[in-house]
This record gives sequence, C-alpha cells and structure tokens, in this order.
Amino acid sequence: MSSLSQLLYTARDALTAQSYGLSVTGQNITNVNTPGYVKRDPLLETHALGTATTGTVTATGLRRATDVYIERRELAARGSAAAASEQDRQLASVEAMFNDLGATGMGSSLNALFSSFSSLAANPNDPTSRAAVLGAAGALADRANALAGGLTDAKNELLKQAQETAAEINKRAQSIAQLNQRITVAETQGEDAADLKDQRNNLLLGLSELVDVRTITDNHGVLTVQASGATLVEGGEARSLGIDLHADGSLRVTATTFGGAVGTGSEVTQFLTGGKLAGIKEARDVDIFDVASKLDQLVFDVANAVNAQHRAGFGQDGVTGRDLFDVGGIPQDAARNLRLGAAVAGNPAAVAAAADAATLPGGSANAVALADVFNTGLTGGRTAAETYGDIVGSIGQKKSALAQSVETQQAIKEQVQAMREAVSGVSLDEEMVSLTKYQRAYQAAGRVLATVDELMQDLINRVGR
Amino acid sequence: MRVTEGMRYSQVLSNLANITSQHAKAAQEASTGVRVGKPSDDPIAAAELARLSASSSQTKTHLSTIGNVRGDAELTESTLSDASDIFVRLKEIALQAANGDLDAQERQTMALEVTGLKGALVALGNTRGTRGYLFSGSQVTTAAFDPTGAFQGDDVAHAVPIGNSTPTTVSTSGSEAFVVAGGRDVFADLDSLATALSTNNLGAIRTAIDSVDASHAQLVNARARSGLVLSKLDASQDILTSLDTEQTKRAQTEGAADPYESYTRVTSLSQSLERAISVSKQMLDLGGSNRF
Repeated sequence: MSSLSQLLYTARDALTAQSYGLSVTGQNITNVNTPGYVKRDPLLETHALGTATTGTVTATGLRRATDVYIERRELAARGSAAAASEQDRQLASVEAMFNDLGATGMGSSLNALFSSFSSLAANPNDPTSRAAVLGAAGALADRANALAGGLTDAKNELLKQAQETAAEINKRAQSIAQLNQRITVAETQGEDAADLKDQRNNLLLGLSELVDVRTITDNHGVLTVQASGATLVEGGEARSLGIDLHADGSLRVTATTFGGAVGTGSEVTQFLTGGKLAGIKEARDVDIFDVASKLDQLVFDVANAVNAQHRAGFGQDGVTGRDLFDVGGIPQDAARNLRLGAAVAGNPAAVAAAADAATLPGGSANAVALADVFNTGLTGGRTAAETYGDIVGSIGQKKSALAQSVETQQAIKEQVQAMREAVSGVSLDEEMVSLTKYQRAYQAAGRVLATVDELMQDLINRVGR
Repeated sequence: MRVTEGMRYSQVLSNLANITSQHAKAAQEASTGVRVGKPSDDPIAAAELARLSASSSQTKTHLSTIGNVRGDAELTESTLSDASDIFVRLKEIALQAANGDLDAQERQTMALEVTGLKGALVALGNTRGTRGYLFSGSQVTTAAFDPTGAFQGDDVAHAVPIGNSTPTTVSTSGSEAFVVAGGRDVFADLDSLATALSTNNLGAIRTAIDSVDASHAQLVNARARSGLVLSKLDASQDILTSLDTEQTKRAQTEGAADPYESYTRVTSLSQSLERAISVSKQMLDLGGSNRF
C-alpha cells in the first residue's frame, strides 16, 4: 500500500517522464526539416522495484523510427538515380556538340566539301573554285578536330570528376568510420547515440549518390559499408577508392587501405553499378567512346575515299597521286588527326579536277568523280551523309532513353523516399498531438503532487495542533 | 500511411518541378515553332533531318551548278546561231556570185567579204565563256582555232553533276561544230568559196554553194545540240527546284511543331500549373502547426 511520501515520488517520476516525452517531441519538431533526421519516440515503462510494482513511470530511452530494409532500398535507389542523372548530364554535352539542328555538328562541313567538288566540276580552271575546295576541306578538318577535341576534353574532364568524386567518397567513408567508433563508445557507455546515427545515416545517403552502397550491420551493431563490391568501411576502419586509367584509356577503380597509393589494392571497376561515379564511367567509357569511335571511322572512311579519288586525278601542274587529306593509317584518332594534305595545302593548283593530264587545264572528270564520292557507300555500305545521320540519331536515341531512365529512377527514388519518410519522418500533426498528450500528463502529475502536498499539509496541521 | 511534413514538401516540389518543366518545354515549342531542337527531342526525326540536310545541300549545289554552266551554254547556243547567220550571208554571196552577169572585179570584192566573214567565224569559234574558250574542249586556255581556222582544242566534253545518275555534258564540241569531226571543215569551205570568187571560177563557185549548205547544216545541227543542252538544264532545274521545295517542306514538317497542337498543349499545361500551385498551397496549409 502506497504512502503519501511514495505518492510524491510517483508524481516526481511522472513529471520526469512526461518532461522527457515533451523533450523528445520538441526534438522532433525542431528537426522537422533536418535532412537525415529520424523521428524519435520516447520509451516509457512502469517502474518496477525488485518484484514489487511501484506504479511509477520511467523513461528508459528513445526509439529511432527506422526500417533497415527501406533504408537499404533508398541507398540503392539513390545510387541508380544519381548514376542515370550523371550519365544523362554528360551525354547532353555530347549531344550539343553534334546538334546540327543548332548548327554545331559536322553535317554542314561534309555537305560543303562535296558542294565544292561540284562547283569545281562546273569551272575546273577557276582559281576561286579550287581555293574553295581547299577551304571546304580545311573547314571539314577543323570541324572534325574540334569535335574530337571536344570529346577528348570531355573524357579528361570526366577523369578529373571521377577522381574528385572518389576523394569525396573517401572523405565520407572516413567520417562514417569515425562515427562508427563514436557510436560504439557511446552505446558501450549506455548513452543515446541517436544523433550520431542520424549523422551517419545522412553521410550514407550522400555516399549512395556517389557510389553504389550496401550496408551490413552485425550482431554487435557494427556497421559495414560496401561500395562497388569492396568493403569501404568496417567498424572504425575505412578504406579508400582510387581512380586511374587502364592501358586502353578506360577508368580503373581500385580499393586500397586508407591513404594507399592509387592503383594499388584490388580492382573493383567491374562491380561499379551505381552513383555518380558509375554515371561518369558509363558516360566516359561507353557513350563518349562509342561516339568518338564512330566519328573516327566516318572521318577515316571519308578521307580515304576522297584521297583515293583525288590521287587518281591531276592538278593543274600535271602532277598526280596527291592526297587531299592527311588522316593517318588507322581509324583511331582519325578525327583528331585530320589535316589538309601537305602536298595540296596552300596550293589550289594541286587540286586534282582532271582525270587525265591531257585534259588539263579544263578537264573536270575527276572533280565529278570526287563529288560522286558523296553518293558512294563507305564502311557498312552507307554514304557519308547517311552514316553521319546514323551517328546523330544514335546519340539522340541514347540521350532520349537516358532521359526516360532518369525520370524512372527519380520516380523510384521518390517512392522509396516517401516510404522512408512514412516510417522515419516527422509529422507535425502527430507531434502536436504528442505535445498536448505529454503536456496534459505533466499537468496531471503536477496536480497529483499538489494534491499530495495538500494532504500532507493537512496531515501536518492536524497532527501538530 | 503516415503523411509527414517532408512528404508534403517533397510531393509539392516534385509536382511543381515536373509540370513546370513540361510547361517550359511546351512554351518553347509553341514560341519557336520548332519541335526537334536537338537530337534527343526525336532521334528518328533528327537522323532524318541530318540526311535531309545533306540531300537538300546536294540539290542546292546542283541548282547552283546549273546556274554556273547555264551562262556558257546560252553563250554557246547564241554563238552558233551567229555562226549560222554568217552562212546565210555566205549562201547569198555564193548564189549572187553564181550569176553569170557579174564580172571578175565584182567577184573579187565578194571574195574579200567572204574572207572577212571567215575572220568573224574564227572569232566566234574563239568565243570565251566563264570557263575559258567555249569550243576548246578541255583546253580552255587555248584558242579553239588559229587564224587559219585550224582546230587547236580537243574533244573532251565538259560534264557536270546535276543530279542525274551520270554527269551531264554541257559543252559543245568545237571540232564537231566547225571542223571535220562534224563531217565538214567549215573554214575550208569558206576558203574554197573565197578562192573560187577571187579566181572568178564560176564552176567552183557553183560547187561551193553545196559546200556552204553542208557547212550551214553542220552549224545548225551543232546549235540544235547546244539547244538540247539548254533544254536538259531547264528540265533538270525544274525537277531540282521541285525537289528542293519538297525537301524544304519535309524538313519543316519533320522538325516543326504543329502550331495548334503546341498552343493547345501550352494552354492546357498553364491551367494544370495553376491548379498545381493552388493544390500545393492547400497541401502546405495543412501543416500540423497551422491546425493547432
């Protein structure tokens, strides 16, 4: 049976517990907009003393409202969305380079070259028509160089971005490892580590946008983070990702001990599936590589077809066998290396309009044949214009598919985020109800205290009379 | 399902971003009239437009080539017409000289006129166009005929690509028009007439009448051939102009936005955007702090 003084303790415990509830509710309201914040619920229990029930209440701590499965899904969704978004962003700049609709592509330069051959055929002895051929050929070479240079710059820029992204990943990994240590210490000392876990969660969410992330928590609560198939964080230990290039120029991702030299450790490139880093790699080593290869092949084929015909003709000086372009012996880097042929540069008379030395200076048969190269099938049987159209179309298709993928991945990410918010987010409606609940309980406990106080006063007054 | 403040804000942001993006794209399409501004807007149309651009460029080049060679073709035709007119006068002289009433002195005077007409014919044979000497074949910098009428050019035809499967010849052979490749050497026939007149050889004069007729016929044939070249150029120009119009129309159809459709879309999206803003406001007003 309770005594009055015990009732006082009961009221005291109630005030403490409801006050704790108010404090946690306040925390929730305060952090309603804090990224990564997980809603807390105060854990209140009846207070038992030995085997006896005391009837009082105690706040045993708080519970973070999380669902580990949803959190893992969110990490994956964020990684996929970030990868698609980054790849889409990078391909947009490639698309801009080949946008003939915006007058930035190579189509008009190709057309101008073949037009210049036709004009030359109309008036093969005209120095202006001859100079126009060299001008158009030079402009095509400049345009091909500019496009190849733009693609190379984009690849170099993406290498830098990949290295900066890896540095950011490593920084975050180290912060997560440090937080792991602090969480372990806090929990060992029986302290509440909710804020530290929120911070770690926030870091993980950010990390998942940089690289594909998987998390594993062991029986002792130690968090392991895997990125690109490699263990990046294990408890308080962090490893680091390094970026360098394979011999073929593609990106190589390696995982090594923290601070280890780039390129040492194990290669994990093939396991990279998500996050900005994956988007960069896909854009650089697949999309840009593909466009550059096709451009090189087109330039190589056009230059060789024109050269073969040009070599067969005669310049005004009666010399034959001269190339209009210098392009190198293999398709690789043909667009970057394309130049006006050394034997014709600055020498309009060297343009081979005549098919036979005897028809100089007015023979135009070779100029006609050069113009006809435009209608001749190159590698794959497609003409230069058709091949160029195919390149433009393939870039457009890839970009369009990526834009759809970005929308899909973004929608999935938003759905999973909504699921996480539903579990872990702060609802002001709920918090306002909780606030009222704990406030009323606190007021009631105060009333108990006042009542006990009155009773004790009454008792003291009666006894002391 | 719990609805939290974060979910409300995210949903509002996502909805507004989505509809604003669609509205901006539709507004751009409606204001510019361009549906395909970059390859990803419609990859198939963009590839088709690139190929159309090449075809259109080729068509325009062919039209430009026709424009370039037409001047020389017209000049060739008019030159041969002038040359033919000379032979009309030569025939008159020959017929007049064949009249037995004329004396040697009068025939001598006629011989001088014939020699002068030969000079005029040589000058016509050496007419220059934009490409060089019209009747020299590929030897455009060499006069087609020397003062005696000897041919100095070649028979290489000037052919240009104007859209046919094979290049079109746009020149007229000087040797076929004026010298033996055409069957008669018109200058030699002139010389024969001049000699017959100066030697007062009535029989030779009467023989020369047939030669003058044959040479005249040769020049008329050459003129007809040059007229055919012009006809061919006209026909090609008509076809290419139609083709150019068709290609331009196709390019516009392929890449252009339908004005009615795009305006309707903008209007519809504007209304959707207004509704989305209104709903967003209501959603945000539902926040817990406003209700307690």
